[in-house]
Amino acid sequence: MKHLIPEFEKMKQRYPEGFESSLVLPCLQRIQEDRGYVAEEDIVGVMEYLHVPRIQVEEVLSYYTMLRRKPVGRFHLQACRNIACSMRGSEGILGHLVAKLGIQPGETTPDGRFTLSVVECLGSCGTAPVVMVNEAYHENMDAQKLDKLIEELR
Amino acid sequence: MPRLTIDGREIEAPAGQTVMEAAKAAGIFIPYFCWHPELSVPGNCRICVVGVEDKGGEWVDIACNMPVAEGMVVYTNSDKVRERRKATLQFITLNHPVDCGICDKAGECTLQDYHYEYNGERSVSVDSKVHATKHYDLSARIVLDNERCIQCTRCVRFTREVSMSFGLGMQNRADHSLVRAAEDGSFEADAYSDNVIDICPVGALLSRSFLHKSRVWYLKPAASVCPGCARGCAVNLWHRRPEWRLRAADMRAQNEGIQRVTPLENPAVNGPWICNKGRDLAKVFGRARAEVSMLKGRPADLHGALAQARSLLASARKPVAVVSSWGSNEELAAFKAALGSRFTTFVKADHEPQAGEVLEDAILIRADKNPNTAGARALFGDAAPAIPKDADLVLVWGEGFDFRLIPPEAKIVYLNAWLQPENGHADVFIPISIQTERDGHYTNFAGVTSAFSKCFAKPVGVADAEAVFPALAAMAGGGQ
Amino acid sequence: MPGRQLIMDFEVTPTSHTLEAYRARGGYATLEKALKSMQPADVTKEITASGLLGHGGAAFPVGRKWSVMKPGDGQPHYLCCNADEGEPGTFKDRWILEHAPHLLVESMLIASYALGVRNAFVYIRGEFDLPWRRIQGAVDEAYAAGLLGAKTFGTDFVLDIVVYRGAGSYVCGEASGLITSIEGRKPYPRNRPPRLTVKGLYQRPTVINNVETLANVTGIIRMGAEEFRKVGTAKSPGTQLVSISGHIAKPGVYEVEYGYPWVKFLDEDCGGMLNGATLKCVIPGGISTKVLTRAEIETLTLSHESVNPAGSGLGSGGMIAIAEGTCMVRLLQVLLRFYHHESCGQCTPCREGMGWMHRIIDRIVDGKGVPEDIERLYAISHANDGTTICGMGDAAGYATVGILNKYRDEFEHFITSKRSRFDGRLECLA
Repeated sequence: MKHLIPEFEKMKQRYPEGFESSLVLPCLQRIQEDRGYVAEEDIVGVMEYLHVPRIQVEEVLSYYTMLRRKPVGRFHLQACRNIACSMRGSEGILGHLVAKLGIQPGETTPDGRFTLSVVECLGSCGTAPVVMVNEAYHENMDAQKLDKLIEELR
Repeated sequence: MPRLTIDGREIEAPAGQTVMEAAKAAGIFIPYFCWHPELSVPGNCRICVVGVEDKGGEWVDIACNMPVAEGMVVYTNSDKVRERRKATLQFITLNHPVDCGICDKAGECTLQDYHYEYNGERSVSVDSKVHATKHYDLSARIVLDNERCIQCTRCVRFTREVSMSFGLGMQNRADHSLVRAAEDGSFEADAYSDNVIDICPVGALLSRSFLHKSRVWYLKPAASVCPGCARGCAVNLWHRRPEWRLRAADMRAQNEGIQRVTPLENPAVNGPWICNKGRDLAKVFGRARAEVSMLKGRPADLHGALAQARSLLASARKPVAVVSSWGSNEELAAFKAALGSRFTTFVKADHEPQAGEVLEDAILIRADKNPNTAGARALFGDAAPAIPKDADLVLVWGEGFDFRLIPPEAKIVYLNAWLQPENGHADVFIPISIQTERDGHYTNFAGVTSAFSKCFAKPVGVADAEAVFPALAAMAGGGQ
Repeated sequence: MPGRQLIMDFEVTPTSHTLEAYRARGGYATLEKALKSMQPADVTKEITASGLLGHGGAAFPVGRKWSVMKPGDGQPHYLCCNADEGEPGTFKDRWILEHAPHLLVESMLIASYALGVRNAFVYIRGEFDLPWRRIQGAVDEAYAAGLLGAKTFGTDFVLDIVVYRGAGSYVCGEASGLITSIEGRKPYPRNRPPRLTVKGLYQRPTVINNVETLANVTGIIRMGAEEFRKVGTAKSPGTQLVSISGHIAKPGVYEVEYGYPWVKFLDEDCGGMLNGATLKCVIPGGISTKVLTRAEIETLTLSHESVNPAGSGLGSGGMIAIAEGTCMVRLLQVLLRFYHHESCGQCTPCREGMGWMHRIIDRIVDGKGVPEDIERLYAISHANDGTTICGMGDAAGYATVGILNKYRDEFEHFITSKRSRFDGRLECLA
């Protein structure tokens, strides 16, 4: 985490004074982007850097679904299952992914390549169903497109 | 000041007050779980709903976050309010285990009381309950049952607004939210942590030392003062009711021991809180007692010991006394009246800070670990004990005095309550009663005097210091 | 095109979102005009006169919200742009963030000038990647061009904008949850009073407006309130971005002039139903608005005064078309699972009620429903109506009651025969 402090300092400049607590979320996000998850030493680092109590960092980490304290696979596949995606076949998409990868939602393949998750509404209802791979949206998915995508990632 | 009507009663309340505060001040009760007069208002439990008369009928909202307004007409028990409360209690008991039969809180549980008062129906749910951790070790002192927790966050807010340890938080979301301690041990180190047990409106947070020890209705409180430091917090010492005495062999600890200690609200001294040291008074008062008078280590009867002490005093040319900062104002005054002119008198600290104990903080804890230093010094001055080399009689009252400071030739009269090695070194030893065995007063560091009351009879053979001093004076003639 | 365009009025190309392209379209000229020729109060007056309504879902008059702010009262004021767009079915703000980010930046500059704001925030949901890169890019371009972080156009006005990313939470779209999140904490919504315009971000007066709401500000100041009011209807001035999804032939974002006929919009602009299916019902503006049947929308236009009396609302513009043959029990299951997942757990009715409703609907779908379940769902919805800290409990109740009122027979059928009348279908097969 220490090597990111120059970046944090730059980020701070656009915030008003006294907004240190606000930086908890952006710092954790940047750390996760860097390491893949938030480790114990990062939590301590953020506490010390921003002078916030540890419980605030722990609450934030446990509340927000996108933050994690454990690593995920190389490719994090997140299948949306909310209304618009359900109406366009996301249940089949999810079933296909489970069969294809041999893992249930919340699990990672033994080779550490894929982690599968289900999520609620990614705000891409017009191009449903959507599967998010790491940060990128893959829209209008169907079984063939999914097969092709997985092959490319394998 | 805005005037408003609550349940037909016209009251006046300062602007900026909430309906909850105004009602409470006027003696009108509105139920609440999450609200606490000393904590911020989260408005999360939703049980304190009241109805407000409006053009369009009656609207209902929570009283704890509703500012009073001129001409407001409030109902605390309208049909709408009752219906809302009932629905809220259905929600609160939805995932609550209702295991009152094995819950220590039963009998003093807010949820139990409100259920009978405002709901009275069994759960209408046919679905299984959400399960959560039970017997979770929140700290070495506190056990948490997450299923009983109604997530009012009083405990969380206490650690952020009162004890400032930031030791607790709410993890996760929705109906799988959990109270958890921060992973850095800040709750374990919180010297005030046990207050969360008292402010928990249900049986989610329980004291490990009291766990399954007794039903609360077998106990009664005695108003007392914590002797742990010069703050002198008001406390309740809970002990077994005489009518519920256990009749079996070896039940003395149960029948005549302190079962638990809780704060007794006193705005002038401690507010509604006490520190963890105060919770552990049973250990202080439960130490082995000295119950037999002694002459140079040999058992004697009390009369014989008093007679011997009198004769030593009669022949003393330079008697010095070291009085106890754990003595009550009454005892100290008795000493002064009976023997004050006969003795050169010093006040000693019976207890010094222990390793690992919080020395002092900005909340309650004081560095002086004795309850009545101020009361004693008011009578005897604040000079540190310094026994002159030519002292020929030293009267020591209370524990914590180093006998090596006494000139070797001087005679020693020792009054102590505890079974300690020094007792046998005195020429005369007289066992005395402790705080829980008598009524009295202490004066705290700020000059506030608080009363404590008797909860147990003193053991046979033990004397009250208040009676010993006049008895010594009767022959020595040292009174004023 | 469903009427006149105010926001989507340019051709989208690979570079149309850049500062250069925006300036070529006349961008930032309105800001300069406002800064140099108008007093802050004039801007607010113009917005109030325009009758602009909030586009986040509640349709609260923007001028009324702004008028509470007292610039120059000696304390900091903040402006937050709500780009959390989490209401299922809604993806219209994403269009603005991706294609017209500078319109939003210019609008925020103008709004900040009017409200006496020195620091503004764009709170964008964490899942949005391209929209985030676009708005962050636009903000960075504006900094580089001296529009942000320095005296804008040589005046004394300076504004900093922070693009703040969420991390996965529906309640961050609720204004007070949003500011609690910007404070770097878990986004528990707050009780009112106090209003956020009195005590908002770090207890300072704060205005929170939706992306589309703010995006309209530049146009209103450019053309004037009077011109703006010529678009749309008297009670719903301007346009609404409608994001339509579900069983519709041409899903996507459409800018609809208020007052446009609803059925015409679906049948002509959106190409009718998918695979030639028949419309069963439509969710007008995000899942928290009550569902309307085909018959109910027949004579309605897309305007607040037309939709509200029908017992629903245009909400966030997240329209979902549902074809005949769709199982409404399964559909409600998807919605209740979502509400359960997103309840923050702070206040009792929502924390317990969302899970309870979810368990009931799961049990019904599992073939273990009991007749009392329907009344229980009504009762839980009712017990969440107006009793929670934020509007989420109410929203779940509206969605549930909306579907139960109109499709009670499907629920009864599911409970008695232990199976769906439509094989539990959510997809459109016709």
